[in-house]
Amino acid sequence: MSQMNKTQGPVKRGEVSKLRWTWEEMKNNKTAYFMVAPFLLLFIIFTVLPVFLSIILSLTDFNMLQVPNLVGIDNYMRLFMDDEIFILACQNTLIFACITGPVSYILALLVAWFINELPPKIRAVVTLVFYAPSISGQAYLVWKTLFSSDSYGWVNAVLLKYGLISSPILWFSDADYVMPLCIVVALWTSLGTAFLSFIAGLQTIDRSMYEAAAVDGIKNRWQELWYITLPTMRPQLMFGAVLSITNSFGFGGVVTALCGFPSVDYAAHTIMHHLSDYGGSRYEIGYSSAIAVILFIIMFSANIIIKKALSKVGE
Amino acid sequence: MKNKLFQKVLCLILSVTLLLGSMGLTVSATSLKYDPNERNPYKATTLEEMQSLVGTLPYAEYSANNAGVKPGPYVLKLDVTNFTEATNSEIKVVKDSEVVSNAITQDGSNWVDFDYDANAGSSIYLPSTGSVTWSLKVGENAEGISEAGLYYIKIEYFSCITPESSVSPIERGFLINGKIPFSEVASISLDKTWTFDYISSETTDAPGEPDSYDVDYVWGNGHDSYQKIVTSVVDGKKTVTTYTLSQDIIGNSMSPGAEATPSWSTYYLQDETGYHSGNFAFNLIEGDHQITFRAERDPVIIKSIEFVPAENAEETKSYEEYLKEHESLADKDASSGDIIFIEAEFPDAVSDSSVSPSNDNTSPVNSPVVSGTQLYNVIGETGFSSIGQWASYKFKVTDSGFYNLGMRFKQSVLQGMFVCRTLKLSGGEYGEGGTATVPFDEAYNLKFDYSDNWQSSYVTDGEQVFRFYFEEGVEYTMYLECSLGTLKEYIQAAENALLEVNAAYLRILQLTGTDPDENSDSYNFMEVMPDVLITILEQAVALEQAHKSLKEICGTNGQHIATLETIYTLFDKVGSKNGENIAANLSTLKSYLGTLGTWINDSKSSTVMVDSIVVAPMKVVDGELKEDESKLPRVEANFFESIWFEIVAFFSSFFIDYDKMGVTAEIEENIEHIDVWLASGRDQSQIWRTMIDAQGGFTDKTGVSVALKLVTGGTLLPSILSRKGPDVYLGLGSAEVINYAIRDAVLGVNGLEPRFTDEQNAIFTTERYTYKNADGTFETTLTPIDGKEVSFTTLPFNKLIVDEYGEEIFSKAALDTVMISPGIEKDENGKITALPAVCYGLPRTMQFAMMFYRMDVLADLGQEVPESWDDLLSILPVLQANNMQIGVSYVSALDFMIYQEGGNMWKYTDTDRYDAAYAGAAIDIDSEVALAAFDFTCRLYSDYSFPVSYDAANRFRTGEMPILIGSYADLYNQLVVYATEIAGLWEFCSLPGSYREETGEFNYNSLAQVTATIILNGCESRGNLLPAWQFMQWETAAEQSAEFGNRIVAIMGPSAKYETANLNAIDDLSWTASEKEAIMNQMDHMSSIVNYPGSYIISRYVSFAFLDAVNNDANAIDAMRSYIGAINSEIERKRAEFGLWVPTEEEPVPPEKETYKPPVQQ
Repeated sequence: MSQMNKTQGPVKRGEVSKLRWTWEEMKNNKTAYFMVAPFLLLFIIFTVLPVFLSIILSLTDFNMLQVPNLVGIDNYMRLFMDDEIFILACQNTLIFACITGPVSYILALLVAWFINELPPKIRAVVTLVFYAPSISGQAYLVWKTLFSSDSYGWVNAVLLKYGLISSPILWFSDADYVMPLCIVVALWTSLGTAFLSFIAGLQTIDRSMYEAAAVDGIKNRWQELWYITLPTMRPQLMFGAVLSITNSFGFGGVVTALCGFPSVDYAAHTIMHHLSDYGGSRYEIGYSSAIAVILFIIMFSANIIIKKALSKVGE
Repeated sequence: MKNKLFQKVLCLILSVTLLLGSMGLTVSATSLKYDPNERNPYKATTLEEMQSLVGTLPYAEYSANNAGVKPGPYVLKLDVTNFTEATNSEIKVVKDSEVVSNAITQDGSNWVDFDYDANAGSSIYLPSTGSVTWSLKVGENAEGISEAGLYYIKIEYFSCITPESSVSPIERGFLINGKIPFSEVASISLDKTWTFDYISSETTDAPGEPDSYDVDYVWGNGHDSYQKIVTSVVDGKKTVTTYTLSQDIIGNSMSPGAEATPSWSTYYLQDETGYHSGNFAFNLIEGDHQITFRAERDPVIIKSIEFVPAENAEETKSYEEYLKEHESLADKDASSGDIIFIEAEFPDAVSDSSVSPSNDNTSPVNSPVVSGTQLYNVIGETGFSSIGQWASYKFKVTDSGFYNLGMRFKQSVLQGMFVCRTLKLSGGEYGEGGTATVPFDEAYNLKFDYSDNWQSSYVTDGEQVFRFYFEEGVEYTMYLECSLGTLKEYIQAAENALLEVNAAYLRILQLTGTDPDENSDSYNFMEVMPDVLITILEQAVALEQAHKSLKEICGTNGQHIATLETIYTLFDKVGSKNGENIAANLSTLKSYLGTLGTWINDSKSSTVMVDSIVVAPMKVVDGELKEDESKLPRVEANFFESIWFEIVAFFSSFFIDYDKMGVTAEIEENIEHIDVWLASGRDQSQIWRTMIDAQGGFTDKTGVSVALKLVTGGTLLPSILSRKGPDVYLGLGSAEVINYAIRDAVLGVNGLEPRFTDEQNAIFTTERYTYKNADGTFETTLTPIDGKEVSFTTLPFNKLIVDEYGEEIFSKAALDTVMISPGIEKDENGKITALPAVCYGLPRTMQFAMMFYRMDVLADLGQEVPESWDDLLSILPVLQANNMQIGVSYVSALDFMIYQEGGNMWKYTDTDRYDAAYAGAAIDIDSEVALAAFDFTCRLYSDYSFPVSYDAANRFRTGEMPILIGSYADLYNQLVVYATEIAGLWEFCSLPGSYREETGEFNYNSLAQVTATIILNGCESRGNLLPAWQFMQWETAAEQSAEFGNRIVAIMGPSAKYETANLNAIDDLSWTASEKEAIMNQMDHMSSIVNYPGSYIISRYVSFAFLDAVNNDANAIDAMRSYIGAINSEIERKRAEFGLWVPTEEEPVPPEKETYKPPVQQ
């Protein structure tokens, strides 16, 4: 590959039109394109195409069973002008994302950093302990047992025993408790793939860079972290950030499993829930596509912002 | 427009019929007056009845009280034809078959396979309801000998099969002098005999052929079945009996249908739970006795009831005696006889239809086995585990002498324990003419040890291998019967401990509540209830003993046995130290009681899977009889065989079309067939397939093939979208039906007839269908095909829902849930009128809430079963004083309370007969009535502290929640398998009623949750409309619903009760008489929430309001009111989407129904 590139040499950008240049580059790297083709095909069919389809559908009144009619931007108008629940869902989603996103991100980073200092054998064990909640499927349902509304639920039983409450609290059916509980559960499950990639990133850092930095006048561990560790593992940071944004915006299934659908008084109703509410129980695929498009835009811009922010790391 | 007019006329007819139907309901309702003694014509069990039932002694105590009473002197016979009292006029004396058929059927049809000649003499026919009483005089005979004493009771009965019969055993309550002598005979069950329809027999003359007996196992034509063929020649007659297990087109075995066969049996009253071996001994003192049989289930014909002196029962002998008896027989050696190999999956008869063959593919040595297919090769995997169930096998030996019985079996359920079977034999010396005997005492306890692998061994009691003497040429039958064997005393100890400690737990609960204060030493258990502590300690010791001996017998402390250890350790801890540990361990105690209950259930279900049985001849070697282990079936395959078996299974999975599961013949595309989808289990789908294909089944009657496909729940929506949907879909929830209907995906089923006539020639070119037009209705019949006289009458919708006497076939409430107006019409003035409502499906299942109650707890507390909410709240303080609760599912209570109070979810519904344009346009929860009902429901939880969230079955089981309201079939199905130790202590009845002042009546209404059978829209363009409609009628008819319900119970056991929506089918399902009465009564008191566009939003906001009221002590009415706007605006938005009438400022929804006049005249 690299040899082939060397013999032909990259096409110089200035000499030809942009299209022409791209084509030439593609031809040069055709083996690479060939190898990425299977994935690209699936990616286009199952990810890119649906995104475009949902943009188109969001302009119709499609109801899953009948032929859709074009309605222009009616769905968007209604979404922003005439749907209080959507505004509530946006608010919930943002609260949710703003708390769980950064907190889980920083948590993952800090925990990874600490764990990295441990001896390898212990590190392996501790990594598993922290990673376990996110791989063990529906393990979060243990929270449902813990915070069961029954008077025999664990937390209720303890509180009742010590006389702190007189009747059982309906944890996941009480608007006051739903959101905080869901955030706690989200944080508990959040040490997932991002956390693993951080650990991997930390492992790749060349020890000699720290020594060189020490010579150059790094004074403490924090400076080491900021000037050496983080910039070196920027790709992993980016990967983790994207994951944690998508997770915190798309955190719907766990809430439904814990609080039922919809959550009491829409207390933990996120954009994801709103989407499946309209798509599933109301058969308004057009409208729910509009919601999906909005969610897509929000996530996309959040990613751009994060990317900008991450480029400032170490400066 | 013509069609529309016709539809309107039809709807008018329909509405009139419905109105008439509902008038029938109203008439029966008006007869209820507010008389505290007689509110509801249906009475739940009264306190007195409950107390007498619960207060009855167990047999153990009864027999202890009768210790020292001598057996009676001789047999006393009861003249069954001479009864003194009968509460059912159908109870008749029958002398021969002619009289029986005359006595029973008014319409002249013959219902019995009544083989009476063989047993001439007078008998008495007892139908499935009512009771009969005989008088028995016990005095002194001529010689001055007193007849008083202990007696066994022997009954000779005929299990007749009539239209009243169900799939369950015959059940009778037994009373002496109006009282149940001991609790075990409160319900005695008389077994029926079941045979599989796979057996066919043919006898021909074969003069000159010597007597012979051959058994062959062969594959059927082209591997389409596995057969056992028995050829026997006796006295020049040759009989070929063929047992066929047929297969579907991908090679899986099909369930053989089991049929109850009417037969004579003799039965001694004895313990069915398996704890007391031998018969019950009744103590009869001198004087007149009234002997009563109270019908619980199924008709029976009784020929004789005899009181046999208690010592005179069939004598049993020990194995030693048995051997000695046969020692004198010269020919002990049987070595010239053949080994008889019996495939266990071919029983000749079984005691219960759930005892049926099944598949096991865990070993390549199983016989028969084909890798990758589910071929029936074993018996006993499921459904063959309750005490008393048996399977029987016939065999003949070719040389007289001693034989061993060997089996290849697998017992991998009870870890570290063993399972017992009783072996009975009949034929020759063991009893002629259907009487089976246990050859020797030890045969009660044949042990099957635990192992993860298959085992092969001769039957043994763990100490010695048994030998059996068989004579050449005699046809023997062996019965393998589930029994507790030697386990019974341990299980009984555990059950006793459970009952005693649970009672102790409830008493502690009364003192401390569910959350005792751990730090308080003020409870003083030792002073307040020393007996409770003693009981717990006693039971700890009893359990410890049981555990110790179990461990000894089994040789290990396996996981199953070790459970007992943890339990008695806790009992010991709780009971000792003057009860100091009670407070800290109360909730653990409760969960351990649950564990103990499960342990008992597990231990009682004696599951052992049998692949094959051998009757192996023994040989005399050096003057000694020897077992020959080499004659046992091969136990396990070698490594390479196993690997190859798995490899074949893996690769064949790529080639098997699992859609063809249960399909017996390929349906070619060009053959006229309909596609039917069913989202359910495999068993359910196979039952429907069998019923469709059976003789006289749907295909037979209509000539239409059915491609039945088992699908998963969410498949329907995408299939409609991609235009690949079925013609008929079985069991779609009513809300979904309406969702699909308003989006044109479902066809309305009333007024389909014009479509047939218009397009009849185009669609049905086969000339199979002729149309009769009588009285303005259409009847579709099928002319004979290929000379076969088959016919299926297709009824119009209005004849389907109400029978000829004007009685409902489907509850109006159920039909309402699948009806909606298909749209609107504008006249020339721009006035909008809604089209008359159309029915979009036929109700298939109907669930509704009923009230379950623990009779023992209520009897203990001296409380009647509450009939109204006032009653319920008046006994609440008594329950709460004892730390008990009432469990009401708030989701259903919120809804049914509104209807009980006379409210409605909607301001107008189609069925109100108001202009349908307003129907479903606004909710009516903001009416005074509905708000009051809502407020009352909320107060149940906030003021009366009903628990919002609870584990219903578990608390009902412990008795903490003696009254429970929930879906009847779900709860029943759960309790009947989960809480077997309280069997007979609970019942269910209709919901408590609300008193309505305006009518002066109580309203007991429950709400119907319906699933329906529907026709999808694409059906018509495929030309399948008529067959689809016919299938739908056939499938929801009473006959098929009942047959399906009974078949599924037969296969899956009593916990698979089918909640049919066909009111006429309930009678034929296997509920007991009192259960049927309760269900039918609730079905008479039924409402439903009609589905309209936007329906989904109501329950959501109602439960938000409820939770707000309960969580935050908000005013319930204000909370509900705050959501009314949101609900209505969502409904209006949804209506606008479908172009329906929407209230505006100029024309709001009229506020009062009474003053409202429809603006548009039709």
